[in-house]
Amino acid sequence: MIRISESGARSTVQDRGRFGHLRSGVPPAGAADPFALAAANALVGNDADAAGIEIIGPPFRFTCDDSRVVAVAGRDVSLATRTRLPGWSSVFVRAGQIVTVHSGERTRFAYLAVSGGIATPVLLGSRATYLPAGLGAALRAGDTLPLGDSGSGAEDAGRHTEPAAYEGQVRAMAGPHDHRFEPDVVAQFFDATFVIDAASDRQGIRLGGVPIAPRAGELQSCGIIAGAVQVPRGGAPIVLLADHQTTGGYPVIATVIAADLGKVAQRVPGESLRFYRVERDEALDALRAERRALDGARISA
Amino acid sequence: MRPRVVPFGEGALLVELGDEFQENVVGWARGIADTWETDFAFGPAVPAYTSALLRFDPLRIAPTEAEKFARELLRRGEIATIVGDRSRRAIEVPTAYDGPDLAETAERSQLSVEQLVALHAGREYTCYFLGFLPGFAYCGRLDPRIVAPRLERPRERVPVGSVAVADGQTAVYPLVSPGGWRLIGRTELTMFDPAAAEPARIRAGDRVRFVPL
Repeated sequence: MIRISESGARSTVQDRGRFGHLRSGVPPAGAADPFALAAANALVGNDADAAGIEIIGPPFRFTCDDSRVVAVAGRDVSLATRTRLPGWSSVFVRAGQIVTVHSGERTRFAYLAVSGGIATPVLLGSRATYLPAGLGAALRAGDTLPLGDSGSGAEDAGRHTEPAAYEGQVRAMAGPHDHRFEPDVVAQFFDATFVIDAASDRQGIRLGGVPIAPRAGELQSCGIIAGAVQVPRGGAPIVLLADHQTTGGYPVIATVIAADLGKVAQRVPGESLRFYRVERDEALDALRAERRALDGARISA
Repeated sequence: MRPRVVPFGEGALLVELGDEFQENVVGWARGIADTWETDFAFGPAVPAYTSALLRFDPLRIAPTEAEKFARELLRRGEIATIVGDRSRRAIEVPTAYDGPDLAETAERSQLSVEQLVALHAGREYTCYFLGFLPGFAYCGRLDPRIVAPRLERPRERVPVGSVAVADGQTAVYPLVSPGGWRLIGRTELTMFDPAAAEPARIRAGDRVRFVPL
């Protein structure tokens, strides 16, 4: 068991997401910063499918009933036991030892992985929490959650992986609806410096600063994915994140590559965001590099 | 528009079949999604009115390879029609016609409230696909005499169970959510139950009828 004594502003159990019920309108949910959760899982020796805890607004404080290896990842995150320990590193904690997840001013999401994984019930094929539909619940102080069997021990502590570079420029492929915008509008989009709007959440990051001329006429709703940059009629783009609707009727001018999704998710209101245009091969190279980094985190002791 | 396959990021393709609603195109989109998920087992797919989103793991299947298969699906042509589906069930939605937009929608349609209710409840709809929210079933087509453009300013909070109409379509809001459709009634029927074996009440292809209370 993991026992939560302080739960932050909003914390939920998340995994890679629920992709088996998209056709029933169930959003994927899962970690808003997928690479950070994957890195935390890799550092404690968990499978890529394991569930961890996504923390918004730490401090988040907990103990485990038995000894575990834990890791926290995200933007500007760290752990504290009796001493302060860096994020993106594995830490051995003894039974009952109090651990606190800390964040900085620019942390939007912190991810806690515990060896063995959070073993809450699997709902519709996933442990990802999606609050609007009652799939899971927000965690509260006093909650206890079951943990899976841990294959990691004290010898697995001290692993470290390079934190993600949380910069304000993300790579994006044009489309799929780029041809429905005027060509100079697409160019303008890739030139613009946007500002993160305060009305951003796990569903999407809203962008202000530079309105993008939407196309005239109606578009039939189509299936959409995280990373899609929708342009609603008002012209303020929205980058979709994990809790996005399964279908959308706004044209998608560009799509953030999978490897850079976390960089978008972790921007805080008032910060800037720019899109750098890439082709698919570059998106694939970035994904492969990410996979290599995760493999490295898993085996390097 | 000629049917085509376009990349949607590195791990998905969007098969676009047309620009306008046509019943046989809905069936086509659904057939493509079914084959992608079931026969090819490449990943999840999301069909809609005129398109199918096809997802895959680009580290397992090269995107160019995935594209070849998607184009092959296009070449096969219309492999299924939604109305010919034998697994369609009949779903009845008991409805209290007392929504906040009922009178206004009747007036806009130059109908009395009674006429509007009779038209809405008087036909059997097909669920074309689900999207937007868990269990939100896009059903159609409305009688063309019902004039219901989307609201200029969507509501921030549509109550659960609201029976709504918009642009030739009708649906029930399965959860409290923002929404831009016009609310003409409400139902007590649970449209999405995460604990059920099949959480969404209505399945694509089902025949749906609204029964006035």
